[in-house]
Amino acid sequence: MNIELSDITRKFGRTVAVDGVSLDAGPGVLGLLGPNGAGKTSLLRMLATILPPSSGQLVLLGRDPAKPGGRREIRRGLGYLPQNLGYYPSFTVVEFIEYFALLKEMPPHLVPKAVAAAVEKVDLGPKARAKLRTLSGGMLRRVGIAQAIVNEPELLLLDEPTAGLDPEQRVAFRALMRDLGQTATVVVSTHLVEDVGAACSEVAMMASGKIVFRGTPRELTARGEAGQGVGDAPLERGYSAILAAARTAAS
Amino acid sequence: MTAPDDVDLDRVWTGVAAEVWRRHPGRLERTAAKLLKSPGLARALLTTQSLLFPWLIASTVVLAIGALTQVAADQPLVWLLTPAVAAIGIAYAYGPGVDPAWELASSCAVSDRMVLLTRAVVVFAVNALLGLAASAATLGTRAEAHTAQLTFAWLLPMTAVCALTLAAAVAVRSAVAGAGAGVAAWILFVLARSALATPQGPGQSAAVNLAAAVTDPNLYLPYLAVAACCAAVVYYVTRPQRGTQ
Repeated sequence: MNIELSDITRKFGRTVAVDGVSLDAGPGVLGLLGPNGAGKTSLLRMLATILPPSSGQLVLLGRDPAKPGGRREIRRGLGYLPQNLGYYPSFTVVEFIEYFALLKEMPPHLVPKAVAAAVEKVDLGPKARAKLRTLSGGMLRRVGIAQAIVNEPELLLLDEPTAGLDPEQRVAFRALMRDLGQTATVVVSTHLVEDVGAACSEVAMMASGKIVFRGTPRELTARGEAGQGVGDAPLERGYSAILAAARTAAS
Repeated sequence: MTAPDDVDLDRVWTGVAAEVWRRHPGRLERTAAKLLKSPGLARALLTTQSLLFPWLIASTVVLAIGALTQVAADQPLVWLLTPAVAAIGIAYAYGPGVDPAWELASSCAVSDRMVLLTRAVVVFAVNALLGLAASAATLGTRAEAHTAQLTFAWLLPMTAVCALTLAAAVAVRSAVAGAGAGVAAWILFVLARSALATPQGPGQSAAVNLAAAVTDPNLYLPYLAVAACCAAVVYYVTRPQRGTQ
């Protein structure tokens, strides 16, 4: 298992962002669904070792991120795309990706080819030497994806990766996720259920900091058919049915 | 003409693209990578100034604090605490509030504290160079004393202390230990400066002055402040890690 979470809680003052989450995941693409404020981003930040949990046990890639040595090893095998990708406007696409490849402690002699491969995977070859300030929002998102995959991570964490991508790019990106999920654990936090249906082998749904559903996209669809979900697509109906049930249980 | 079946054209193209797009690190970056034992830290070192907004904030803070030390040049408390204020300013400038890619960098294997130390070295070193240039340019003018004081009493010593801090941190692979070495070096510098500034009486050596400076009652408060800071650092480093209970 690349991810082993046991009763993880994260509090910000009195607010409980993540509430007793237990989760295991091996290679594959895990979709993390949920409404705004459900705790998806906080959970992803804990998986990215940026945010320590308030309580609970967290083991990533077989190591304990609370220990500096373990954290460093995890980060070498980690790819992370935050929800709001900050970038340096004066850097070129290649410089930006190379910078993060070096910060991930990739062996320097492997970096140029890895950068080129990542740029090609996100189809940014023609813009490789363009300054980041000249790129559109969708292109910047692809730069973010490229820096996340440049080290061929064992654990890839993507927060809203398809936001700003055009339909063609989204289809290409889903294929890339499926491909990466063959060997790595890919966790994708998203609002877009169609991304989950097309790319994810498993789904975890969060509401009020808790995991309220874990299963395959097919099982999520089945919940919609059985329950009283609303939405245009079967997956959306499954999503809303589970959310409605979670809200009823909470109240 | 088509490629043979056993040739992976994608792989070939990636190799070509890698050569075309490859950035060749300069001599300074290669030397820094060897000294710092990390190409990532060397790259961070050389990108410090290109992050323009953080650079401007950090430089403004450093120069403003340098000016403050001139105003209160005879106050040991000011001299002992100003590096901490400068460090906070640089940490803010290159921290989550201003650095747009801070969250991304925080998820990387190279420690963000080590990156911050390299930033501090560059901020002080480049400003020290500018200070030297300004000192040379203002020779013989009314501003000469001010620029010389700012450069030689603040920027150059702090550059040396930051470099020592980084060197210690690299040697023992701990930014906290490096910071401890830096704090110790700065305290020694302030005490030595205070001792040398004290007029020597008959038969009184600089060593006696240094001893007198060390035991000066005016320094008890700064000592307590530094001790409290050290205790806080030790507590922070040795605290039980959350999530491992």
